[in-house]
Formats: sequence, C-alpha cells, structure tokens
Amino acid sequence: MHHRTIIISIVLMIGFIAVTLRLVDIMIINHDYYLNKAKGQQVKSEEIPVKRGLILDRKGRELAINLDTESVYSDSAEVKSIDETATKLASVINQKPEIIKTKLDTNKRFAWIERKIDFEHSQKIKELKLRGIGVITEPKRFYPKGSLASHIIGYVDIDNKGLEGAEERFERFLTASPAKTVVMRDAKGNILSEGHQREIKGNNVVLTIDEGLQYIVEKNLELVMKERKAASATAIMMEPHTGEILAMASLPNYDLNSPSSSTPSTRRNRAITDIYEPGSTYKIIVGVSALQEGIVNTEMKFDCSAGSVEVGGKRIKDAHRHGVLTFKEVIQKSSNVGTIKIGLKLGKEKVYEYSKLFGFGSKTGIDLIGEVSGILRHHSKWSGMSIGAISIGQEVGVTPLQVLRAYTVIANGGYLVRPHVLKEVRTPDNQVVFQSEIQKKRIISEEVSAVFRDILKTVTEDGGTAKEARVDGNLVAGKTGTAQVIDPKTKKYSKDKYISSFVGFVPADKPRFSLIVVVYEPKGAIYGGVVAGPVFRKIANESLSYLNILRDDADEKGLLVMTNQEQKSNTAR
Amino acid sequence: MRLLIDKWLLLIVFVLILIGLVSVYSSTSVVTPDVLEKGQESGKQVSPFGFLKKQLFTLCVGIFALFLAYKIRLNHLKILTIPLLIISLICLLLVFTSLGVSAGGARRWIRAWPTVFQPSELVKLSIVIFMAWFLSSKYFNRDSIRSFFIPIGILVVFQLLLIKQRDFGAVMSLGVLTVTLLFIGGVRLKYICLLGLVSLPFIVKLALEPYRLKRITSFIDPWKDPLGSGFQLVQSFIALGSGGITGVGLGEGKQKLSYLPEIHTDFIFALIGEELGFVGTVVVILLFILFLMRGMWIAKNSHDSFSTYLAYGITFMISYQALINFLVVTGMIPTKGLPLPFISYGGSSLFVNMTAVGILLNVAKVNKQQRLLQTQSQPLTNKEHFQLYIPLTNNDVKDGVFIKPFYCFNRKTNTIV
Repeated sequence: MHHRTIIISIVLMIGFIAVTLRLVDIMIINHDYYLNKAKGQQVKSEEIPVKRGLILDRKGRELAINLDTESVYSDSAEVKSIDETATKLASVINQKPEIIKTKLDTNKRFAWIERKIDFEHSQKIKELKLRGIGVITEPKRFYPKGSLASHIIGYVDIDNKGLEGAEERFERFLTASPAKTVVMRDAKGNILSEGHQREIKGNNVVLTIDEGLQYIVEKNLELVMKERKAASATAIMMEPHTGEILAMASLPNYDLNSPSSSTPSTRRNRAITDIYEPGSTYKIIVGVSALQEGIVNTEMKFDCSAGSVEVGGKRIKDAHRHGVLTFKEVIQKSSNVGTIKIGLKLGKEKVYEYSKLFGFGSKTGIDLIGEVSGILRHHSKWSGMSIGAISIGQEVGVTPLQVLRAYTVIANGGYLVRPHVLKEVRTPDNQVVFQSEIQKKRIISEEVSAVFRDILKTVTEDGGTAKEARVDGNLVAGKTGTAQVIDPKTKKYSKDKYISSFVGFVPADKPRFSLIVVVYEPKGAIYGGVVAGPVFRKIANESLSYLNILRDDADEKGLLVMTNQEQKSNTAR
Repeated sequence: MRLLIDKWLLLIVFVLILIGLVSVYSSTSVVTPDVLEKGQESGKQVSPFGFLKKQLFTLCVGIFALFLAYKIRLNHLKILTIPLLIISLICLLLVFTSLGVSAGGARRWIRAWPTVFQPSELVKLSIVIFMAWFLSSKYFNRDSIRSFFIPIGILVVFQLLLIKQRDFGAVMSLGVLTVTLLFIGGVRLKYICLLGLVSLPFIVKLALEPYRLKRITSFIDPWKDPLGSGFQLVQSFIALGSGGITGVGLGEGKQKLSYLPEIHTDFIFALIGEELGFVGTVVVILLFILFLMRGMWIAKNSHDSFSTYLAYGITFMISYQALINFLVVTGMIPTKGLPLPFISYGGSSLFVNMTAVGILLNVAKVNKQQRLLQTQSQPLTNKEHFQLYIPLTNNDVKDGVFIKPFYCFNRKTNTIV
C-alpha cells in the first residue's frame, strides 16, 4: 500500500516541479515580454486636450474665450443594437435616426455622433445609459462680444483650429503642441489615474485693439451705413508712433459665434483686402515729396485759375474753379490742377519713388491674413497722362491701411511704421513671452512733416474741404478724398458710384491716433468731406473723451481736467 | 497535558489561509468604476471589504467545522459515511430544484443562508470518507473486480449529476481521486487499465462538446484569439509574467482591474504571481508540498486502515486540487473551474477543505495518543503481532487515555487477538 502512495506522491511532486519550471519560463525568462504586454493594455498614452488661449484686447478684456460643452461619441465595438441606439439618440439629438445610424455603422472604436451640445442634452444622453455611447467634455470657442472686431479676431472650426483673423494668424501662440500623458486604465477602458494633467493651456494673445475704441468706430460706421445707404464702410485707428492698430472695422461684418451663417463678403476685412483709387487723399504724396526734395516752399504760388490742366492729351478739371493758390492752399482746397502742376515739376521718377517710399504698391506687413499690396505700376510703364492721374490719386490701387500709414508718417514726424494688431503674448499665468517689436523707418525729415502737419490742419479750417471733420476743442490734421469707382463691366468710371474718405490724425500737434474712414458707394452726398468727415469727427470726439485726452484749447478756456485720482479724492472730501 | 494537535499541519494550513485572505483582499478591494456601477445597479453598497468580510465569515464557520471534525471519534465518522454520501447526493440533486442558483452559465450552487453552497465540494469529501470506509471494510477485496466496480458505480452516479451541472472540473478531479484511492487500496492494475479503456470514449465525447473544445483549443494556442476564448489564459500569463522574480508589490497588481476574469477565485495564483512574484508562487507551491508530505506522514503513521485511507484521501484531495489549479493557471491543462484550496475566494471550498483538515488533524491526534501509549507499553516480541491502541469500545478510553491495556493484532491473519 505504501509503495503505491509513494508513486502517487512522486507523480504529484513531478507536477509541482513542472509547474515551478513553467513559472520560471513565464515569470523570469519571458518577464520582459509579458511586462510589455501588461503595460500595453494597462497603461494608455492619452492625448491631453489643449485649451486654446484667450484673445484679449490691449486692456485685457476678453474677446475670445472657451466654454465647456459636451460631445457625444460612439464605440462601435460596444454598441449593441444600431437601430435601437439610433432611435433613442434621435429622440434627444435633433437629428434623423438614419443619419445617426450611418454614423454608428462603422468599425471605428471612436466616432463622433454630435459635437458641442449643451449640458441639458448631454445629460439626457447620459441618462439613456446606452452601451457604447459616451460623452466627453470639449471646450468650445465663444466670442462674448459677438460681431465686435470680427474681422480681426476671426473664428475657429469644430476642432478649434483657427480659420480667420487672429485665430488663424496666431494659431501657434494660442495652441500648444499636444502632449501625451500616461494613465492607468482597467479592462473596460475606465481611466483610474488621478491627478494627472487634464489639459494644456495655450498662451493668451493680447491684441493692440482697444475694445472701447473698436466699439466707438463700429457704432459710427453703422450709423453712416444707415444714413448714407452705403454698400460698405471701413475705418482704421492707429497709434501713430508705434503702428499699433487701436481699432479696425469693416461693415458689413458677421457674428463670430455663428460664422457658418455669414457670407464670404461679410467676412472680408476690407481695410486690408479691398483696393480703391484713393483720389485726393493721395495728393499728399506729391506735396510731401516736393517739399522734401526742396522743389517748392509753402508760399510758392500755382496758377489754378484755368480750372483745368492738360496732361498727356487729357484734360483734368478742378471741382471748383480756384484762382492763384499757394502750395498750402493747393492741399487745403484739394486742387487737382495745382497738384498736377507740382507733380509735373517733380517728374514721374520722383512721384513713383515717393509713392514706393510711402509704402504704396507693397504690403504694409500687418500681422493679419489676406492683406493685398495694391497697384502701383513702375514709372517706365506709365502713359503720358499717368503722372497727372497718379498725382491726384488715380491709376493707383491702395488699401485703406496703406493710406492711413502714409498719413501717420506726417503725424509721427516722418517715420513709416509697421502696423500690427498683436501687442504681446502672455502665458496663462500672465508672463509675457512675446512682444511685437516696433519697426519704424524715417522716410521724410522732421521739418517737412511738421510743415505738412500745419498744412493738413488748415483742411478742417474755414476754406478747407472738410470743415465737417472739425473736432471740438482739438485741431485735426487730415485730408478728404472722393474717388470714382471703376465699373468692372464697362472699365470706365461709374457715374454714381463713389468712395468717400477722410484720413487724418488728432490732436494735430501731438497726435494720439490717426484715423481713416472710408465709405463705399454712399447715396446722396458723395464728397469725402461731407460723407466721411462727420464720421471722422464723431469717432474722434468720442475717442478723445474715451482716452481722457486734454483738449488743445484747455489752457485757453481755462478748463481743468482732473485725473481719476483727483476726482476720487475730491468726492471723498 | 501535552497538546495532541499536529502543530506542523496546523501551521501550514494557517499560513495558506493567511496568504489567501491577503490575496482575496488585494484582488477585491479595488472599487473600479465598473464595480461601482454594478453595485449601484443591484442596489448594494460597494465596499472594498465586501469579499473579505464574507471570506472571514466562512473562515469562522470553517474553524468551527474544523474543531468538530477534530473532536469527533473516527469510528463515529465511519458510521456517518453512508449518511454523508446520501446528503451529498441530495444536495447535488437540490441544484436542479428551485433552490438551485446559477452563475456564469453554470448551475452549480444551492441557496444556503446567508450565502450559496457548492455541493460538488462536499461530494469530494464524502467520496473520500466513503472510499476510506469501503477500502477498510470487509466488502473490499483487492482481487475482486466486483469490489472494484462498486465505488466506480457510485462515482459514475455523482459524475453524471456533475456533468449535468457542467462542472467538468469536479467530474475529473473526483474521478482521479477515486481511482487514486483504489490504486492505493491495492486493486489490480489491469482493472484500472480496463476502466481507462472503458471510459475513454466517454471522455472523448465530453471533450468534443463545443464549449469545452473551445477551451481546449484556446489552451493549445491562447494567442490565436487573445480577446476571445484565449482571453483568460493570456491575461493569466500577463499577470504572472509581469510579476517577475519579486512581483510588482502587494496590492499593486493591475490585472485585477477587470483584466483577468475570476482573479479572486480560480486564478488567484496569478495574482500572487503578479504581486509577490516568482518568490511568492514558489512559497505557495512549497507550502502545498509540505502539506502533502505532512499529510502522507500522518497517513503512514496511522495504525488502522480507515484512518490511513482517510488521511491519504484528504491529503491527495487537497494536493490534487492545488496541482490542477496551478496547471490551469500556468496554461498546462485546459481551463476548469477549480479553486485553489485555502487561498481562493469561495465559501464552499474553504469550508469543506477546513473540515477535511480537521479530520486529518483528528487522525494525527489519534496517532499521537497511540505513540504516547506505545512508549509506555512493552516492546514487541513477535514480529507477526503488533499492538493496537485503537479504542475499540467506548469503555477502552477515559479522558483521552487508554484504560484497557492493548489488543494484539496478527498481521498474517488480520485478526485481533
């Protein structure tokens, strides 16, 4: 009996030893192999969602923010009945069951069903407790100011990728490179690790735009659009010394929160993408270059009594017949005849050279997408009458921004600045990581710019073309422009389509901002002084008080402007 | 008074149970979102101690059963043999009544407040006691084919019921156990060979049933379908393999996160491997080898054939279960639902195994009593005779000490003088 039990125990011992050897094989020899397998299934490398940075105005006010919304997805491996799931989902989501069915009917482990829905709906979906249907949080871009500065801010697609404006241009700042994190999960795919990094935040972009000024500009453009039944209107306000864009608006605009319901034409940033013939506003190019070249002085007289001048076989007339005008008066009264005579004195090489120098015919380099360079033909390709036409702002195509920048040269004492909308980039914890550098290049002398400032001041004085642009208590330097629109069909100047503009800067002697207002195809009045001038005045007036700028005549009138602190201490007393 | 309990056996079992409690707690204490959801659905409160508490409750009941089995007189146990067998049979039949409980596609349990009971575990012990009784009784003749097929017949009845419950693991272990005891009992080898030949077609037929065939094929190549039928085995390998020599640390295992099904019951050995490494698994194997050796030592030192067969039966019953479990977890034989004695979570197994250990301790106690008396008695003069210290009647013993000197046993005639 006992020897048989020995046999059994030997069999058992062989079994135990075999198990031990097998364990050596699995646990020691193949340890690395199984460890990899274990890591492969237990540990999941998960992409950390990137939360897009905010877009702020120069004072830190939020122009683009993120809202948490929820998105519904399916895991086809878990979905039991496609038909049942689809009908149940359709009862909550506003979609046809057939469409949901096609979305469910894939082999993917992850497929979107409906994205960025509100919490009320996602809660209902959670309550359905459908197998294979999940809900995850996704940040959605929200623009609290609606259509304000729409062309500058731009918008994003469903995956939060910038499509227009700053959202597109500053994509690399706003997003961060997606990182991956390692999380533990169970066999059902539930994430078990706690405290791992849940999101990466992109940097915040601070624009040079001032929300208050932007609002003032847009409001007044809207008024003039309504009043003049204009096709569109544009205004740009710029800090003259740095080139910072304080406000830039084009009408019509669109609601950033529903870009899909807008048309491409409303999404166009006319301030940098539309070219027009500048008309009289271009006359300063000839004027400034003549002064800079020393060909004329301010008191030099030009005979404009003929009321017209012939250039290259074509007769160009003045709007009103003038007598003999000084150089100053030519600009003030915007005489075509006088300007052409100056231009002819300069010669086409110089006119071309200064046009180029003032930045026409090339991009301003603004940090927005879609800017065009305009049209300025080389002087070798000019016809006989070109010198006359270009002197008074015809035969050239410019953008409103180019014109504004040219006037800013006079405002800031002779520097060509690079306009920009990006002020700085800040990390989520407010560290500045990038700052736009100010680029400026002297193109005319301080003296010439000072002289010209004085000339431009007279435009809004009695005898000038833009008394309507006069601003209470402040001297305005500026220039009107009225240009005909070339009908694309007939290739001739249209009889009833005009572009009225006014460009200038205030206060004239110590400019705080330069401003251009362009109204396209106004009905009724057409002249820049009448249509764009009042808009300029209103915007400038409101902006000056918004910016708390002391009136030029404050001393004369004995006005006292109190700083905020003084006001506070006064009321405290 | 000297302690008569076998300290070594008690220590081995105690350590195994302790390892079991720690492992059960480790494998069931993680409340995953999945577990939480299930708990909420069934309205039960989810607690990390839920399984541990149940196991501790069973342990208390088991200790009580162990104590009873330790105290009972072995000849009383002999009388209980047939009733126990009948009770097992009834329990097994109850599974098919409204008292039966099914889980995981198999109907193997009956309701026994406050938990469920798996009769197949009881059947194993009953068969062992029955076989010990039968082999030591006058009905058994090692050379008679009839006395060979009587236990086989009883075995087949139980096996048929177990097949009905799809408890193939129990069918197999019960068969192996019975044949082993018959083998020890000294039956002719040709009977066993004959039995093998007769049962071969049945085994093949059972093995070819689709769900079982799938288990067998997935055993041969688990990686063929690692997400389907081979899933459990693959996950078991990953658990063991990732443990390495020293393991990932107690409680640090990840395979219990719904990866390895039945990790707290049949596959708890994989968890030990993952968390305590090769070292941990070898310790468990060594403990079972020690158990085997101690059990055999006790059996060998028994002085009557009933106790001997009983001790061998219990020792082999538990050792077989442990070995089969190891073989399953390491993928050396196809998957079967057999728990690892003392360690796996599961009330029935723990309760029955502790009762069995109680009986084994009982046998050891009697051995010790006799050895104590033997040292007091006269040395043997006749090699053909040896002294018996078994209380044959109630009057022989008082307070654990023999009052009647001894009986003499003739080896050749197998009679008491």
